[in-house]
Amino acid sequence: MRRRRFLWVALATPGVLWLLLLFVFPFYVVLSLAFGTLDPLFLSPVPIWNPMHWIPDQFTYVLSHLAGAAGFYGPAILRTFAYVFIASVGCLLIAYPVAYYVSRFGGKRKGMLLVLLIAPFWISYMMRMLAWVNLLQIDGWINKVLSFGGIFNVHIAWLDGRPSTVILGLIYGYIPYMILPLYAGLDRIENSLLEAARDLGASRLSTFRRVTLPMSKSAVVASLLLVTLPMVGDYFTNDLLSASPSTAMFGNLINTAIEADSQVGKGAALLIIMFVVLLAPMLYYVRMTEKAEGGAV
Amino acid sequence: MPASWGEYSPISTPLNRRAFLGKSLATAAAFPTLAAFLDACSSSPTTAAPSSSAFTVASPANPVTWPISSTNPAIADNLVPEQNATINIYTYTSYLDPAALKSFEKKYAKYNVKCLITTFESTSEAIGKIRSGGIQADIYNPSYDQMGRMVKGDLIQPLNHTYISNISNVWPSFTNPFYDQEWRYSVPYTVYTTGIVWRTDKVSEDVAARTNPYDVFWDPQYSKRLSVLDDYRTAMGLVAMRAGWDINTADPTQIAGMHEQLTKMNQATSPKVNVTDYQDIPTKVVDMCQAWSGDAFNMVSYMPTGQSPDVLRYWFPTDPHNGEVDNDMLVLLKMSKYPVMAHLFMNHMLDYKVARANFMFTGYQMPQTLITPSNLVSDGTIPKNLASVVVEESLFTKGQRLLELPPAVDAQWQAIWSQFKAGA
Repeated sequence: MRRRRFLWVALATPGVLWLLLLFVFPFYVVLSLAFGTLDPLFLSPVPIWNPMHWIPDQFTYVLSHLAGAAGFYGPAILRTFAYVFIASVGCLLIAYPVAYYVSRFGGKRKGMLLVLLIAPFWISYMMRMLAWVNLLQIDGWINKVLSFGGIFNVHIAWLDGRPSTVILGLIYGYIPYMILPLYAGLDRIENSLLEAARDLGASRLSTFRRVTLPMSKSAVVASLLLVTLPMVGDYFTNDLLSASPSTAMFGNLINTAIEADSQVGKGAALLIIMFVVLLAPMLYYVRMTEKAEGGAV
Repeated sequence: MPASWGEYSPISTPLNRRAFLGKSLATAAAFPTLAAFLDACSSSPTTAAPSSSAFTVASPANPVTWPISSTNPAIADNLVPEQNATINIYTYTSYLDPAALKSFEKKYAKYNVKCLITTFESTSEAIGKIRSGGIQADIYNPSYDQMGRMVKGDLIQPLNHTYISNISNVWPSFTNPFYDQEWRYSVPYTVYTTGIVWRTDKVSEDVAARTNPYDVFWDPQYSKRLSVLDDYRTAMGLVAMRAGWDINTADPTQIAGMHEQLTKMNQATSPKVNVTDYQDIPTKVVDMCQAWSGDAFNMVSYMPTGQSPDVLRYWFPTDPHNGEVDNDMLVLLKMSKYPVMAHLFMNHMLDYKVARANFMFTGYQMPQTLITPSNLVSDGTIPKNLASVVVEESLFTKGQRLLELPPAVDAQWQAIWSQFKAGA
């Protein structure tokens, strides 16, 4: 009994250490910066490690500029939620049929199809976005394709700071993260259940609606979380495909703050707010999974 | 046997409220310990740094000779260069010709010296890493508006001039610049102006012919066709110069005015804010932009195959009093492990042939007496249509210089810049 308990502790230790070193400690540093002060000469952030001495000025500054007449952070945050919502739905609309096809009709080619699906991971995110910058230029291939060999005169300035381009970039950048968990969830659904539904007279559509879709709900939520959470903090896609303040997102607010010495503490405060906001869907997922597990028992 | 795992699983035992509170208290109790530990580990810059009240702003009207502390003297004369040194130069990306490093290694091959470049995105980031010891470098490549902070923060060491004989190649005014009289701590690196670039095939008007060309950034006909530099001092300097203000203004009314004008600029033209203008203009991502003269020159080499650089234009005010002229420099970090070799490297960069090649590589002119500005166009180095990118020594007596801002004012500028970039 004691030996088994030791085994569990030993197995849990790397994960706990990982969390302590790469989550708890960095988060404490962020807190110490958000509630810290500034070096009087260099304006660089000076963390205050002791919570008893924390100064709330930078945090209250951010809170007081979230909404209202002075709320310059508000529009970017609302914009982020709009972009992320549209991009997540877009990802789902594309990824679900792809994952469904691979899991149901992939047959012997499942492995190859999966490799093709994860192929974008082999290239860095930055390189993929830079490729889009080339494709979307006025003389780029997207406009060339849309001009149908010169029949139409297409000169769309995709990179002039339009939201649609940023959303396109988000969908493209994060879709592999959605396809894989969806595939895993759909592939786990027993064929016998689908056959039983068909045997009982359900049409293909009805089988999908009443069996496949409900049974893939947790995979859908998990995959949505996987793409939504990093999208909210993304700043790079907007920087490369737009670079306009009119499409600035939550992540850009933090990045801009971090680049200016005196604003780093405010960036840390924004990060804490983002963390709290993102905690809600995460908790929903945990609760939903617990419920599902409880139901299964 | 999986079925029995749950029996022993640590997560199978629910954490009741009492246990949760107990563990939370234990965690809370641990925080002060962690805090004390971190306090002990940190170098506490608040106590180490001098206060902002002792801040000295160098300006052409108020040249500053920085003191040399007895605890931070220059190296002695006639020292033998260090063996097996690796000189780390901390600079911007693509801001130093790799051939210059190779030729230096070759020149001092008997000492087995190696050169290394480490890059930064912004000088704020660089200063932060230098102060925290996050980087070990020998030579740093800042602009002169950081001089006071670096000296007062004890980040750099004075130079021993006997190792840098090539200073004689430099424009005379840079051997006694206002920001570092007697060039005690720095040697000049590049010189540049900040102006406006546009493509004549996309912009039909002659921007230079406008009464105030800076107005283009508020002209709705150029909405979403412009970019400004992602550098708060330079971009906000444009706003100040348009209004005829000092680009180092500390006047609260003018600072509020800059805020208002930046908001209006966002509404009128929604410009991009980046530093990739040298690519964006050649590839028609934008038609017009605020640009440093070095980047304007670089655009020629970024033009796609088959497209002529003749369409490029660069405007810098004919009256330089309303234009920004700056220079970057090389300084020797106090943390340098190889100060003798670092001195020799600075000397190497001031060699005419090295400087000329470096200019061709980076696009940024170096203030060398043998690089005659008037000849750069006639000898074909710079195309005629970009003749205005040439930086003359005389500009430095007339143009506006970005000066160090007092910390409190600097913080106000940075806060306004954050608001502008938030796109509200």
